[in-house]
Amino acid sequence: MGDVARTLLQRTLRKIPTGKLEETLKKWAHLSRRQQQSVNYTQSKWILHENIVSLCEENGLTTRHVSELEMIYCMENPNLGTWRACHLTDADEDATSVELLSFKEQFKSHLAELIRNVSIKIKKHDNGAVWIRIAWGDNFSKPNHFKPTYVVHDLQTPYVFISNLKSKHKPLLYQGLVLATKHGSIKDAHLSGRSLHAVRDLLMGHYQQSFPTNHLRPLQERNPPITHPNIEKEHKEHAEKRQQVAYEAFGEGDIPKLETATYTLETRFRGGGGMDTLSDGEKPFRTVVQFASTSLLESLRHCVSSGIAEAPVSPLLSSITQKGRNYFVITDKADKGHNATTQNSRAKV
Amino acid sequence: MLKPFRKVPVLNTASLLLVENEEQLQTRLADIIVQNEKDVNITVRLARKLPLPEENQDSRPRIDLIVFIVNLRSERSLQSAEQSVKYLDPGFFLGKVCFVVTGARCLSGSSNRLLTARKLAASLHCPLLFAEDQTNEGVITVAVRLLGILKVAAGLVPLATGLYLNSLSHCMIPSDLEQNLD
Repeated sequence: MGDVARTLLQRTLRKIPTGKLEETLKKWAHLSRRQQQSVNYTQSKWILHENIVSLCEENGLTTRHVSELEMIYCMENPNLGTWRACHLTDADEDATSVELLSFKEQFKSHLAELIRNVSIKIKKHDNGAVWIRIAWGDNFSKPNHFKPTYVVHDLQTPYVFISNLKSKHKPLLYQGLVLATKHGSIKDAHLSGRSLHAVRDLLMGHYQQSFPTNHLRPLQERNPPITHPNIEKEHKEHAEKRQQVAYEAFGEGDIPKLETATYTLETRFRGGGGMDTLSDGEKPFRTVVQFASTSLLESLRHCVSSGIAEAPVSPLLSSITQKGRNYFVITDKADKGHNATTQNSRAKV
Repeated sequence: MLKPFRKVPVLNTASLLLVENEEQLQTRLADIIVQNEKDVNITVRLARKLPLPEENQDSRPRIDLIVFIVNLRSERSLQSAEQSVKYLDPGFFLGKVCFVVTGARCLSGSSNRLLTARKLAASLHCPLLFAEDQTNEGVITVAVRLLGILKVAAGLVPLATGLYLNSLSHCMIPSDLEQNLD
């Protein structure tokens, strides 16, 4: 068993928590049943890992097999840092008929043409998504398995989620994806987050959305009734209206967990207030505004429903859910002579 | 504008208005007060701030006591209370208004706010109570105290009126403390 394989195996084993180790090894299925049963999971981690490494050496496993183990673990627990979403556009007519085998072949062959020494593994997840693990090398070095790129794509949808991609490999990956999925081009969807499921759910709308309605019944069902008839809330109607507006903008119940929303402003400074040096009316005043939280949409929803933020919700905030992005560039409208606030600016794609 | 004597009092009832920006302590207080008092019929109204909506004017009973709950951990809480006080008719401040302050334990940044709250209560001649909202016992304690003041303000305790109680218990800032500030 080579050095690379052994190091990769040790690193992967350290990442997997002991509770999940047994089932992950079972899914991997490269250790015989007798070997799996011989592993004692109550030992200390170091001894346990040494045990497993020696069993793998017995079976003569290579980097290829070990990378499969890593991939199996990552598919269940996609905690790989930041996931970025990309959008495939200009679909060909037969783009909807791309299925797994042809996608696999096409992708592997295209990428192998573009760059030598790259190691690709493609697997289908139970929920239908296709996972691709790519270890990049170049003309002179072998693939680096310690920093692989993971790509998740649902066939027949135009969305791709990528993590750990270096900018020098970006054009190669994009080219491979575009050709394999039979689309014309791919572009950045300006959405990123730490949780793959959250990013996916937001982009595909898989959360409980709320639509404007004239009936108040959903509100009464949603809010628990007051405990005692003698207690009454004065601002009940206002509170309910605010809550409805918040739910319409951001969704009900559990909403996807995003961490940040970034707005890059290239608008002119219109503050007034005596800041003469800043209000150089002609040049854009570049700023970046970033909202960060453990669960950003939840906090924004709470701000609106508790009255901290003004209702109706500013389109800058509601476009996070409406358009499924969290990076915006705001520029001024083309005509000058407008004494307007940022509501008159539009978001640039 | 809320006026204290616009409506006629009802026999054996008392009505309390809790105003709190965060809307957390008020629900717990309301539950305890309403459930523990069996002799008198008590209604509790909850609000985030004044002014109260016009639509409820008719259905609202006569308010006997208004309690402003200020959380010293947040600046907005105090500001909201200061804004709301302006919407009360001056007749309320003769024994029908009370301030409750929570979070006075943590001194990080709250000592200034505490002083501001005390000055506000002293300038309006109202009592200032301290409450511990993190434990159940604390919430029950402040609920019992508020219930006592409410009963006096509603005229249910013989030989005591809100004005008498107010003159005994309103918040005062000792003059040496004031001098230390200036």
